[in-house]
Amino acid sequence: MGHDTKNALQILKSVANNPQSYIANWKEKNSLPVIGIFPMNFPVEIIAATGALPVIIQDSKEPISEGNSLLAEFYCGYTRSIADQAAKGMLDIFDAFMNADHCIQLLGSVDVVRELLPDKPVYFEHLIAAMDDSWTKTQVQEKIEAFIIEAERVTGQPISDEALLACIQSNNKNRQLLRNIFAARRNGDAQFSPAELQAMIVSSMIMDKNEHSALLESVLADAVAKPRDQRIRLHLSGHFCHAPRVELFELLEDCGAVIVDDDLYTGARYISTDTKESMPPRMALADWYFARNETIPCPTRVQKTVDWDSYLLNALDNSGAEGVIVVMAKFCEAHMFYYPELRKTLNTHNIPHLLIETEHEGMPVETIRTRVEAMIERIRRKSPTRQITQESA
Amino acid sequence: MSSATPSSVNRLKSNDAGRHMIADYWDRIFTANERDAQLVWYNGAALNPIFQAAGLEWAHGEAFAARLSAQKLEKSAQLAAQEYGYVGELCSYARTHLGTALLARQAKEKYSKGIVDDAERDDLASRLPMPNFIVNCYAGCSTGQQWDEITHRILGKETPIFNVSLPFLWSNRPDAGYLKGQEWEEASDYVAAQLYKLIDFIEVQTGRPFDWDALRQGMKYIKEASEIRREAMAMCANLPAPATFWDWIASVAHINFLPAGPELVEYFSNIRDEISHRVASGESAIKDEKYRLYFDGIMNWNKLGTLARVFAERKVAIVAGRYTHNAFWQEPQLIDTDDPIRGMAQHYLLCPTNHGFQTIKHFTKHDCELYGLDGIVFHSTRTCRAFTGPQQMLAKAMQKEMGLPSIFFEGDVADESFYKGELLESRLEAMLETIDVRRSRDFIASSASNA
Repeated sequence: MGHDTKNALQILKSVANNPQSYIANWKEKNSLPVIGIFPMNFPVEIIAATGALPVIIQDSKEPISEGNSLLAEFYCGYTRSIADQAAKGMLDIFDAFMNADHCIQLLGSVDVVRELLPDKPVYFEHLIAAMDDSWTKTQVQEKIEAFIIEAERVTGQPISDEALLACIQSNNKNRQLLRNIFAARRNGDAQFSPAELQAMIVSSMIMDKNEHSALLESVLADAVAKPRDQRIRLHLSGHFCHAPRVELFELLEDCGAVIVDDDLYTGARYISTDTKESMPPRMALADWYFARNETIPCPTRVQKTVDWDSYLLNALDNSGAEGVIVVMAKFCEAHMFYYPELRKTLNTHNIPHLLIETEHEGMPVETIRTRVEAMIERIRRKSPTRQITQESA
Repeated sequence: MSSATPSSVNRLKSNDAGRHMIADYWDRIFTANERDAQLVWYNGAALNPIFQAAGLEWAHGEAFAARLSAQKLEKSAQLAAQEYGYVGELCSYARTHLGTALLARQAKEKYSKGIVDDAERDDLASRLPMPNFIVNCYAGCSTGQQWDEITHRILGKETPIFNVSLPFLWSNRPDAGYLKGQEWEEASDYVAAQLYKLIDFIEVQTGRPFDWDALRQGMKYIKEASEIRREAMAMCANLPAPATFWDWIASVAHINFLPAGPELVEYFSNIRDEISHRVASGESAIKDEKYRLYFDGIMNWNKLGTLARVFAERKVAIVAGRYTHNAFWQEPQLIDTDDPIRGMAQHYLLCPTNHGFQTIKHFTKHDCELYGLDGIVFHSTRTCRAFTGPQQMLAKAMQKEMGLPSIFFEGDVADESFYKGELLESRLEAMLETIDVRRSRDFIASSASNA
């Protein structure tokens, strides 16, 4: 890994770990608004086309205190963290907020933001989750138009189709660069750790896309492939809206596993789908909403024609993963609904898997370690080659 | 020799008289297959007038979960759901109902092999027949559509399903508010258009034209029943309250999913007349009413009798609640009985969890003023994130803007393991003491200013 690569990676990690600092510097440098975006389906190109910076709001690592007196303790950690950040002034840096997702817990936290920051616009248009219905397409198109109008109102900048197309292109380029890195991992390249990959994704959610892509290109220019070793290959699945703690990745690797693929929101899911540059940009943004659920189905949407479980089986085939860790943010209802379907499919195909629930504070490391080690042992016993390798060792 | 202590709860007699209507309804559901009747499973809004007009039988998922829980018969369904892999923090309505879907599928598979299981036949949770099709129309809670999507998958993806999508009433624009503004009008039109498509879908499923006259007639009965219900509720502003939240809970099934007809109107007329009589005679719904409180949260069906008693024994009349008073055809003036679809669509949007915080605060304040309430009890419903979302902000706002104290107690809609009764009792007693102190202070201040 060359010097530039290290520097560029360090910048990405730094932004992922400290979004506030990047946002403050960006505002100072550009004198333009920064719009806070709630995950997972808002097309950020709309905001970027005004010149403003769209930032997908991250879970704060700070322990939740005030947030627990604003939302029930059985709301997910991300939503309580949002309430906590709002109460502690950590969201004051944003000029407005936008949300396209109807998750009742998320809306609860966004309503807290609206109450605590009454001078800032907090805009929500409900992108309907029933993807199969013919009228959903019209509705989503209308909502995209409404978001564009609101973005123009909040920033005072008109949005042209040319500006939208330019932002679509820069977002696509950014996604493609990241997808290349993820594809390399899938194909056996272990030069970047899971924590580094997460930092690349999270920083993309925060940074100006051209700036982020330039850093990625710098990383890739000096990149040297590193063949992965013979550890047990795992796929990480789930964990919506926010990033799992990197300590979990370290624990898995410490147990003798290597992560070869994922469908995490702060992973392959975020970069799964480009916006079509051949379509009129406003239509393309609506189309993207539907297309990405075809690429990697999400349990927050309902669509009869796609299955997350079928996707997962294909993904395992492609990566050669030998087992699945389902990472569920505690109290995530969409995930709780769908998990038994995944379990059923994985059991039917005799694929070892493990459910790990994550919480905002604390991770029972030793409990998880025991369960992961047991799963890895099961995979070893399943594979004659693995058994021979172990015995030889 | 001991003697029975008279109950502090004076329930409406007309509610007891209407119980057979619920039993008759469920008997029709359980025998739907034997009668070759088409059965629709549905969740969320009160689509039943449409199903009734189409000549269908209709089984409401939440209602069945609530019935099982109220009769303490929910365990077998919840166990089936747990064995299938559902996490215990998942909505207990959904968990219980998905459990019944698993049991229904299992019963059908056994039946097809000629196996008749007496134990299963006697288990109420196993008696819900498989549906001919599913309709989802869920407001507020984002899990509603996911729930039926999963039901569809559990049943093998062969059962047709129709989704009516209800936009959340967020109130983006300055003109937005309860029953007003561009957002409200646009959402009303959007949902109404889907209801027409639902009727097209039902025509395909039944193979016969939809009976629009039957829908108009049904909505006439519902509108009349609702007007009478609202009239009766308003009489509870009287001191002492002639009926309580628990009486209105007992009539939720009737207004929410029982067949529309003259019997429904008669049932609510009897309730109104009994309440009117109580007002005239000064008869109270609880013995020696001293405090009047509001109940925010969805019902805890496992603990219906327990909760009614806990409050009544402390001379507390729970007079109104978000669940009972801001749901269930609560704005009958919106229903045009000659052209009912838009008014129905509007009621489906008016689920008490389908509003932003400011609107919920608006109607909570309205109810607390109208019924002259002293405080609020929040049911922090463990697996219902839709109802619990705004509760902590609402508690703060009602204290700040109306001086109303509040308490939270923990429980759940259909999983009794989350109920913490002792905490409720100690917190309630502390709040009642606070109200006593405030009253004494107000009395002294008033005496001083009059002196």
